[in-house]
Amino acid sequence: MKIFNNKKLTILSLLVLMIGSMILILDSCTASQKISMKSGAQLWSENCQRCHNTPSPSTFSHEQWETIGMHMQSRALLTDVEKNKIVEFLKQ
Amino acid sequence: MNHFKKFIQQLKLMCVFLLLSIVTKAQEPTTVVDSSLLDRINTIEQEASFIKPEDSHLMIVGLLTFGYVSNKTTVTYNSASEVSKTSSLGDADHFEFSPMLLWRHGKKFLLEFEPSFSADGVGVNWAAVSYYATPGLILRGGYLVLPFGTYNKRLAAGWINKLASDPEGIPESTDFAVEAEGGFQAGTMKWSYDIAISNGMQLQPDGTTQFVGITDNNKNKTFTGRIGWLPFANSSLELGASYMTGKVGDVGNTTANLYALDLNLVENLSPFQINVKGQYSESKLDNADYINPINSSTYTFNNHTKTGYIMAAIRPMFSKNNIVKNFEVAARYGNYTTPANSLWGTKENSLALSLNYWLNWRTVVRYSYEGIKGTNTVSTDLGGNTGEVTKSNSMYVQFCIEL
Repeated sequence: MKIFNNKKLTILSLLVLMIGSMILILDSCTASQKISMKSGAQLWSENCQRCHNTPSPSTFSHEQWETIGMHMQSRALLTDVEKNKIVEFLKQ
Repeated sequence: MNHFKKFIQQLKLMCVFLLLSIVTKAQEPTTVVDSSLLDRINTIEQEASFIKPEDSHLMIVGLLTFGYVSNKTTVTYNSASEVSKTSSLGDADHFEFSPMLLWRHGKKFLLEFEPSFSADGVGVNWAAVSYYATPGLILRGGYLVLPFGTYNKRLAAGWINKLASDPEGIPESTDFAVEAEGGFQAGTMKWSYDIAISNGMQLQPDGTTQFVGITDNNKNKTFTGRIGWLPFANSSLELGASYMTGKVGDVGNTTANLYALDLNLVENLSPFQINVKGQYSESKLDNADYINPINSSTYTFNNHTKTGYIMAAIRPMFSKNNIVKNFEVAARYGNYTTPANSLWGTKENSLALSLNYWLNWRTVVRYSYEGIKGTNTVSTDLGGNTGEVTKSNSMYVQFCIEL
């Protein structure tokens, strides 16, 4: 148990954990092929329903979808790719 | 005479030609143009080409929550009970009419302004400008909802919330601030970050805190940040952790530290859609001296508040029956504990149930019940009835729409 009381070891372990996590995150920072192949319709279905029911594309005009897309990107913290694909789908 | 007649005829012909020439000449466009007029036309043309129709767009959306609430409250202290009943149209505690103005300029700027008329009067939910700097980075400034938990920023609107009331004790989090946020893909996972620097809260005479407004009460600023993690490729689960810290005193070193954990799970298990949401938060303030309103002596207490809720909803959204698929059942359990021996000490448990019927994707009618049981923990030295139990039962009929 003494080893867990060592403050320096704890800090070192945390640092290793943080650096390791950062490396893993940075290493995987590009979207996998499976993700990048997703259509706007699929992203619309997956992301809108996280908070509310999914809206029909006919609800708003093309111009309005552009504006709402920006608003929702900041609310749901969508990636740019997700936002662009979803808006393009809703404008069809 | 013949020569004279010929001369007269030729003269007449000349007059006709002359008249025709004058008329023709008058119909030709003038080549003399006012140069200042040309300049003005050029300027207008330049402006028109700079501001293309699709570059600027203004729209108004918004929401309305309206209803009826009937409440029965029983207060029991030293075996004596007192009952009170109220009923109100407008669903007084939860009525809200909030038009929201969205003004997009190009693909980089968005102004968002939401005034609101509610039981608290007329106010502003947010008024901010966002700059979409680069992929994964949005900068914002103005009066905005701070990234502490997810309830206030994403789920509080009546047409999004699955129940008629808000969970007890969700910390207020709207302030004048600057903010940076974004989301990025990491393999099959997604991450998001959201950090803000704001004026911060002010310590009140009873030990509660409230945001100070446009003029800060001290030279320090409050930091708020949230990290969100969506571990699954279909974004069905989101876990978040938030932290807020800042000095709250006008003078001195009283600091508030708050943290929150949040959960959001949406699963489609045909024919059902299952929704689970929750948030837990704690706030801890440094000890400070407060004035006892009974005898003006000083007192202190452990200023530690805890609040949390877990909500679950199920809807047969993928049913083939057009009536059945619009029904939804939701339940929420909440717990809210404020500091014992403070003027606002209480320990509450709440249970809310709701039957929702969706008229369309953004319009819902609901019948809700909420029961709250609170135990008073205010010290008798402060004039409190320690151990007093308050049971509140409310029934709501509510209509919510987003336009």
